[in-house]
Amino acid sequence: MKARRVEGLDPAAPLRSNAERIVRTRLEELHSFAPTALEPSASMAQHDMRIAAKRLRYLLEIAGPCFGPEAKAARDAAKRLQSVLGDIHDCDVMLPRVWGIESLRDLLRTRRELLFRQFSELWRDELEQGAWAALERALLSAGGPKGGAGVDF
Amino acid sequence: MARARDVPGLDCEESFSASAARVVEVRAAEVFEHSAGVLDMGEIERVHDMRVATRRLRAALEVFEPCFPPKRHRKALKRVKALADALGERRDRDVAIEFLEGFASEAPEGDQAAVAALIERLRDEQRRANGELAPYLASKRLKKLRRRLRKLAKAARL
Repeated sequence: MKARRVEGLDPAAPLRSNAERIVRTRLEELHSFAPTALEPSASMAQHDMRIAAKRLRYLLEIAGPCFGPEAKAARDAAKRLQSVLGDIHDCDVMLPRVWGIESLRDLLRTRRELLFRQFSELWRDELEQGAWAALERALLSAGGPKGGAGVDF
Repeated sequence: MARARDVPGLDCEESFSASAARVVEVRAAEVFEHSAGVLDMGEIERVHDMRVATRRLRAALEVFEPCFPPKRHRKALKRVKALADALGERRDRDVAIEFLEGFASEAPEGDQAAVAALIERLRDEQRRANGELAPYLASKRLKKLRRRLRKLAKAARL
């Protein structure tokens, strides 16, 4: 999945203002996959959402300190999403290879169902707890702590 | 899995370009630090650690793309992607084998031979993937990649 292009980046401008644009785009990208990915059999959208979560996580590992503790919480949330979606993907890759081994197919199908439920609950919980909304607010008030990393990432 | 290292001196008010140089230097160093023992198929976490470090470097190269000379950036990114893909091919087999070995002991008797055969096929693929990964980890090639990334970081500072 190709990353959505971020407009208006300026190499001479501060890290904070550039990172703000990129985080915003990556956050939108992650959310754009959710409606489809929350369908149990939408393996392609789940895969794309995993990549989007991974991009957001690694971006926040770099630039999170510019946006305070909300960015750290969002980074951790992205990591949890990436992990459960990665396990779902592993089941999807393995299933076609175990044709004829019924006990293994049953196990993988059951595991996938369980992981999908975990993913749905995780997404709902992150929305309810406001991890993404808090990050958006932190981006808006990106005036925050000036200078280096104020938060232990 | 290793936690991403903090980037010394990273300052949110410093230019995007100067930050690019700092981040790429640290993320590149992480990749090379994890390159030892990766071909040892008895220690599968080493591949995983290097793969994650490579993903982080790739992410940094993508985030800071506008800060680098385009041609030099394209070449560096292509090489990092190729390394990441080769590591991924090995890792996918490592994970599948580990999972199946865990399952094999619980499998019903009627399925055990088929599971064993599948593990054997995956072991062949794992060996092949390891063979294809080996050239990327040759010391000469890693040194070249390190030099390329150093030059790229330097170019961002200019």
